[in-house]
Amino acid sequence: MSVKADKDRVHGAPMFASAEKIYPREMKGRFDRLSKLATITLLGLFYLVPWLIWDDRQAFLFDLPARKFYLLGLTLWPQDFPYLAMLLVIAALTLFFFTALLGRVWCGFACPQTVWTEAFIWMEQWTEGTRKQRMKLDKAPWSWNKLRRKGSKQLLWLSFSLWTGFTFVGYFTPVRELGPQLLTLTAGNWATFWTVFYAFATYGNAGYMREQVCKYMCPYARFQSAMFDNDTLIISYDEIRGEPRGGRSRSADPQALGLGACIDCTLCVQVCPTGIDIREGLQYECIACAACIDACDSVMDKMKYPRGLVRYSTESSIKGDTSHVLRPRIYVYAALLLLLFTGLVTSMATRTPIILDVIRDRNSLYRELPGDMVENIYTLKVINQRNDERSFRLSIDGVPGIELDGVPDVVVVEGGGVLSLPLRARAHRDNAYGIMNITFSISDVDDASVAVTENSRFLGPTP
Amino acid sequence: MIQEEYRGTRQWSRNRQAIAIVVWISFLSAAIATMVFFALFDPVELSGIFDADVDISRDAGYAAGFFFFWVLTAICSAVTAWLVRTAPKRDAKRRG
Repeated sequence: MSVKADKDRVHGAPMFASAEKIYPREMKGRFDRLSKLATITLLGLFYLVPWLIWDDRQAFLFDLPARKFYLLGLTLWPQDFPYLAMLLVIAALTLFFFTALLGRVWCGFACPQTVWTEAFIWMEQWTEGTRKQRMKLDKAPWSWNKLRRKGSKQLLWLSFSLWTGFTFVGYFTPVRELGPQLLTLTAGNWATFWTVFYAFATYGNAGYMREQVCKYMCPYARFQSAMFDNDTLIISYDEIRGEPRGGRSRSADPQALGLGACIDCTLCVQVCPTGIDIREGLQYECIACAACIDACDSVMDKMKYPRGLVRYSTESSIKGDTSHVLRPRIYVYAALLLLLFTGLVTSMATRTPIILDVIRDRNSLYRELPGDMVENIYTLKVINQRNDERSFRLSIDGVPGIELDGVPDVVVVEGGGVLSLPLRARAHRDNAYGIMNITFSISDVDDASVAVTENSRFLGPTP
Repeated sequence: MIQEEYRGTRQWSRNRQAIAIVVWISFLSAAIATMVFFALFDPVELSGIFDADVDISRDAGYAAGFFFFWVLTAICSAVTAWLVRTAPKRDAKRRG
């Protein structure tokens, strides 16, 4: 696969010394409807999810101040970080899998950069009109009309950005409390700061930087070609059918004129949000939004030519070979995904909902008590990851006759709570000498399957 | 060649590209570093180590950690980018 490096435009002196903005032309069609649907669905999810309630609390809350993540009925603790890491690896692999199969569908339909840019372009169109009107408005001198249109665009953009920032922070702080707090200026400094920070990032990225983010800043855009092969679905121009291109009247017979199907109307270029010409071949700037397909299809319909001069296709099938959907690369990605996913589900399903941490008192080695007893001091941390209150039985083992002092046999830990338990362990000095390995065990009184053991050391005098 | 009036080729200068890349990639790295670091350490417990009289809230701890990482990764990225861009081009020199 040759991704055409358009060096003249990307590096060095620009071939066209214009720093104009891109005014993507609006285009109706199948893929435009699909992308609208994707944008509305994804944005809808983003803005609605923090408001969902599960068991009287926010269903999805990454409560950083409390260091607990709530996902529906599940509560994750910092100790569960490996799950998060695994989830991120799965997400990356899923992206690779779909890239190998469908090309850059992520870029065209699901990437936040694309989705928010799309929403910002809608607001631009509502206030400033179509592509032609926008270009004219930008060239026109300042007038009441221009001020009104530009002003209302900014107002829409800014409020939408602020709402986005607020929603983002709402994933990390209870959103129902955050709203009134922000409005009455009683929210924490950092919550306010991050709301504004994220709002500013949204405003800059979706309002102004847009496709430049994909062209210059996105690592995925640069390395996605590594996941491409000749059977990856890409948007391509059928050169064999299209060339030689040229204008002609609707009634003319292209074959008699020696022309291909491309009438060189340049609509495919005008609609491109990254400003490339798909007819020059696959380029890394292409985010596969399929706007050019819609544009070309509409022209082919008008000319009464068959659709698909620009279409989703594979390098193989454009060359006339057969495409293979199922190929080693797909199997490898799928197998890895399945393996990781099974691993994640199994380990989450079998995870013990209790954590025991043993911290030995660092300030003293041991203490000798009357009656030839030796004492060590520990602090136990019992974390109940379940959402209901549980009782646990505590025991110690490893030194003959060792026993605990200062704690009840059964301790109660509230749902999602941490119990800090300072305690003393005692053993007779005949049994306790040097460094002995001991184990603390804890088990759920009502559910024998929930039990954990934690190792520690017991120190005594040298014999 | 396609008529340019249809295509606004917006071009960022090399410096602007470099700054954008440095800021963005260091931001991503700092975000990952912050996530891993604070999954292992609680800022409230960390502040106890320094025997400081100030009570650091978790929010402030996270933010301080994040910006610390961001500054660090940004410096690293910027110096790397600068060195790569200003490296002497040996081949070009030899050919004269």
